[in-house]
Amino acid sequence: MLLTLFGAAVLADVISSHPPDKASGLPYARPSSEHWLGTDDLGRDLWAQLVHGARLTLAVGLVAAISATIIGTMVALIAGWRGGWVDAVLMRIVDLTLSIPFLVLILVLASYFGRGAIVTTVLLVGVLWARPARLLRSQVLKLREFGHVIAADAMGASHPRILVRHVLHRLVPLLLSQFVRAAAVAVLVQSGVAFLGLGDPDRVSWGTTLFFANNGSAVLTDAWLWWIVPPGVALTLLIVGLAFIGLVFEEIADPGITSHGWRPAVRRVLEDAEDVPRDPSLALDIRNFSVDYDMTRVVRGVDLAVTRGRVFGLVGESGSGKSSLALGVLGLLPTGGRVIGGAAFLDDVDLRRLGRVRLSKMRGRELAVIPQAAMSLLDPTMTILRQVQESTELTADKRTAKTRATEMLERVGIPRNRHGSFPHELSGGQRQRVVIAMAVANQPKLLIADEPTTGLDVITQQEILALLEELRVELSLDILIISHDLPLIAAVADDISIMYAGQVIESGATAEVLATPRHPYTRLLVAAMPSLDGPPRAAEPIPGDAPDPSERTNGCSFAPRCPSAEPRCSETAPTLEPSPNQGSQPRAVACHVTDDSVVEVRIR
Amino acid sequence: MNRYARIFGQYLLVVAAAVVLNFALPRLAPGGPIEYLAPPADGTVSEVEREEILARYDLEGSTGDQFVSYMENLVNGDLGTSIRESRPVVEVIGDRVLWSLLLVGTAVIVSSVLGVMLGFAAGWRRGSRRDASILSGVLAVDALPAFFVGLMLLLVFSVKLGWFPVYGAVSAEEMDGFARVLDIGRRLVLPATTLTLVGLGSVFVVARSAMISETGEDYVFMARAKGLDEKGVRRHARRNALLPVSTVSLLGFSTLVGTATIVETVFSYPGLGSLGFAAVRSRDYPLLQGVFILFALVAIAVNLANDLLYPLLDPRVRQAGSSENDS
Repeated sequence: MLLTLFGAAVLADVISSHPPDKASGLPYARPSSEHWLGTDDLGRDLWAQLVHGARLTLAVGLVAAISATIIGTMVALIAGWRGGWVDAVLMRIVDLTLSIPFLVLILVLASYFGRGAIVTTVLLVGVLWARPARLLRSQVLKLREFGHVIAADAMGASHPRILVRHVLHRLVPLLLSQFVRAAAVAVLVQSGVAFLGLGDPDRVSWGTTLFFANNGSAVLTDAWLWWIVPPGVALTLLIVGLAFIGLVFEEIADPGITSHGWRPAVRRVLEDAEDVPRDPSLALDIRNFSVDYDMTRVVRGVDLAVTRGRVFGLVGESGSGKSSLALGVLGLLPTGGRVIGGAAFLDDVDLRRLGRVRLSKMRGRELAVIPQAAMSLLDPTMTILRQVQESTELTADKRTAKTRATEMLERVGIPRNRHGSFPHELSGGQRQRVVIAMAVANQPKLLIADEPTTGLDVITQQEILALLEELRVELSLDILIISHDLPLIAAVADDISIMYAGQVIESGATAEVLATPRHPYTRLLVAAMPSLDGPPRAAEPIPGDAPDPSERTNGCSFAPRCPSAEPRCSETAPTLEPSPNQGSQPRAVACHVTDDSVVEVRIR
Repeated sequence: MNRYARIFGQYLLVVAAAVVLNFALPRLAPGGPIEYLAPPADGTVSEVEREEILARYDLEGSTGDQFVSYMENLVNGDLGTSIRESRPVVEVIGDRVLWSLLLVGTAVIVSSVLGVMLGFAAGWRRGSRRDASILSGVLAVDALPAFFVGLMLLLVFSVKLGWFPVYGAVSAEEMDGFARVLDIGRRLVLPATTLTLVGLGSVFVVARSAMISETGEDYVFMARAKGLDEKGVRRHARRNALLPVSTVSLLGFSTLVGTATIVETVFSYPGLGSLGFAAVRSRDYPLLQGVFILFALVAIAVNLANDLLYPLLDPRVRQAGSSENDS
């Protein structure tokens, strides 16, 4: 499309036989084989005007856009690199230029300085450079902080050299998108000026054709069809084309925005229920649960059972799939995440078999969650009372909801005089209390707390854990607490499951698991726990790295790091099998070696 | 340093720059207004007449003297005398200013509301079919040059269908009360629609990208996690996405003022844009200077309002501002 327009501009003389600016026929002629688009009020050929007009329109647009982009880039590099007062002064000028109604400015300047095409181009450059300058500058500022740029600077490379070698080429996508945008604006403004009769009087452009059409009262006759529409459509096509190219470059320039945005994960409602006998003593019963993330299996057939009245702890290092499991159960997986199979019974309801809307009606009412990243979980523009009230309003009318929200906030330890505060006015611990208040506002049956104390100092951690324990008793909540921190889980959880690479590798009553860890991974974790009674020792990291979830082998995923690994460990993967237990809670472990020798190896 | 004092200081500088520019530009231009108004004595104009003209337009004496009297007049609200209409520029502008305000104001409000609604609707689910169709639709509309939209609307709705009057802001005949309001409204529809369509794109783009970046924020996740339905979740994202949008729709104001020139010309609407344009064509320099300084001051005032308003909208900035004042 754009190529056609450019072609027309280049070949103007070939494809039109009449001069664009001299009468070559009768005025107001209709289109004919002689005059393809007819003639205007002075008998000038309109087809010739259209193709010749493309020349000036495009030339002015391109020249103005190129110059403006170059100037803008230079200003951006200087301002962004030098910083300080140079930056401040340049940016003030940019702001000023941006805020001027520039069509008015160009009109005024054109009337002072003349109306030739060159003057128009210069004036256009004078107003167009500011936008690229501003956007590129912030990009330069970002690039300055890049490691290799700082390194090059430290190694004594000259500044112009760094700018060209390391900074400029990274600006290219943004630069191109700004160039295209500038070209579109230049074309638009140039034809606007020409339309007002202030275009170059000696040359033809689409704007001047439309100017004559407006003055020649084309709208009042049938001439509009071949007089106004062709140049108008040509202009529109040109600008639409430029706009879309600009959009493409913008997407390239800022791939970061692609990763933003939450879209509901694909959710398939399972129709046929597995008819499994339900154990009424379980608050949450997760069976054979699997989650995929962009085709990679991150949770692999996890079984997990939260017994009523007991706190359940789920431990695993980051990337072990524990949060994906929780989000999958809650129906909150981000874009790309997908529950592949399994069931999650809350009482008698399989959450997996609820549609998106019905599941969202469970959240905050029967099933509550304290998500990770509590520092930024609150809406910065809303008071905390209002945000808690949003939760209580789910089950109560407005008046009651407000009273209950106030009570709830006070219950979690936020004094009444702070209820009107915005989140940024609160400390991290207080914000976490607000999140807890929102979570338990409607007395849920089950609370899933995902890293509820991460990012808080040790004393605040203890307070938050104590608060959760109090609320658990008061509101008779069942709690599933998730953390990478084994000592923390050990302190609060009655039962425990340990996840590694998307699977549960050991589970049982916390006291038993800690006293007699059976899986080698658990043993290493327990050994690394600081203890008060044992001799002081440095916590030793487990050698090796967690496996890449996209590279699965047939064998046990812990085998490469396992001190007790045998040949069979890398051939077949062990499954989670029941293991002898002492108390009422069942134990299970997934390890070939332990299966054979129930003899417990005590590390301490 | 007090944040407000700093902002006001910066804007004072900008105003000073605009005022000086307005004084200097016509004097710098080669073959500009002075030669046009008062050509050197060459027989058609005697030396005496030339002096008279110079005196009338405050063009006598040294540049310094001229600047002093220019400033004095400006402070007193005297913008000189229009050549075209032979009456004070302030009066001429005064006749038009309300029409401009009506037209541009309507367009700003409608295009902001519409642009924000469309932008939020598109950005809520980035990359969805709805996003793609709204995005391409708005981009196409945005690419339409103002004069082309204006001419086509005029053609279809006024000339062919005869629904709206062809030109003017108010009919010449006397009308009273409701009939007059209706008449003004009818004549506003097409120009305001044109201006709205043209201004829609910039608001839309910002609203969309603001919405896109908010949907990835943790508090939006929390809103969903705590059990709000999609409507409630969207309400949170919208509140936050409105902050950056407010800036742009105010800044878009100055672009619309410029585009209004074209729209007013197409529809023969008696606003300031067409006045400035008429001043350009008839070389009415005092009038042109008056219109220019008014536009510049309005643009600056809008920017200032934006800078002052933003902290009131965002509690985080509000907090930072007040603590800065305390110190």
